[in-house]
Amino acid sequence: MAVEKKHVRLILFHIARFFLGGVFVYASYDKILNPDVFAQAVFNYQILPDNLVNLAAIILPWLELIIGFCLIIGWWIPGAVVIVNGLLLVFISASFFNLARGLDVHCGCFSGGILGTTSTRFAILRDTFFLAVSFFLIYMVFFIEKKSDFQSVEFQNQFTQNFNILKERK
Amino acid sequence: MSENKKRIWILAFRQGLAFIVISAIVALAVNQFRPGRINIVGDWSAEARFRSDDGNLMVIAFEEARKLFESQDATFIDARPEGQYHQGHIKGAMSLPWQSVNDYFFEIEEQLDSSKPIITYCDGETCELSHELALFLKDMGFNNSRVLVNGWSLWLKAGLPVASDSDADEE
Repeated sequence: MAVEKKHVRLILFHIARFFLGGVFVYASYDKILNPDVFAQAVFNYQILPDNLVNLAAIILPWLELIIGFCLIIGWWIPGAVVIVNGLLLVFISASFFNLARGLDVHCGCFSGGILGTTSTRFAILRDTFFLAVSFFLIYMVFFIEKKSDFQSVEFQNQFTQNFNILKERK
Repeated sequence: MSENKKRIWILAFRQGLAFIVISAIVALAVNQFRPGRINIVGDWSAEARFRSDDGNLMVIAFEEARKLFESQDATFIDARPEGQYHQGHIKGAMSLPWQSVNDYFFEIEEQLDSSKPIITYCDGETCELSHELALFLKDMGFNNSRVLVNGWSLWLKAGLPVASDSDADEE
């Protein structure tokens, strides 16, 4: 029954990467279409210096789109997983930071209340859930030791092929 | 196995870097040639942000606002939530929280003197409440609506008259 556990873990891994990839592709869509609106949102976070706001607003959505796409089709998984984790950690930290200093990022004003609005709290909760999923991806990509774990599984899939390719390269 | 592990991390690092570089190139290229492109370095100064739809600057300088306050030639409106207004506001200012503007506007409207300029304010350099309120008032026919950027903090810093719910004043 040890084989079955590995099956399940692998299936979960694929579900997780499809899911997270889909989330990021979906999230990037609006931001790419309306860079001015997204730039205003980045500005409202009051974390980046003014001169870098637009640069971040231009590049970030494309990073999300490309990462999401690669997670879904299974390209460059190790890099994509690291970036996804990095992005989520940055987003959550930014939200917490503003929560702590009472800055409401929707209006750019200091609300005085440190608990934030309902939508802020929901966003943090949601991002934390995504972070948990991305931690699982990190675990699967970087901490599953034996190659044999995957080779014993019947499913020959993109990830396994990539894993083998990684091993063969140098 | 740990050698393999190290390789994976190094690979991940390289791939991650490649992702960032590729995204930056694609993003900047697309931005350059699209309708609705934005500048790579944006103008986020107060002058650029606090404009009306026809491009006019809605900001009123602090000194000018103070003069109008002293000669009582302007109506001050606090755009912040009611709670903050009650804790303290510019003396004589009315409360019209932007976030509930639809609920309160029509009550306030009767008390507004359309011959006097209206000065909206909130708190913080980046606070948009006062700007949104001023734009709204302009749309409602109060053409002389201006924004006192970071009004509340500047007022306090200058030690100008304020009032709160515990005071007797309310007008």
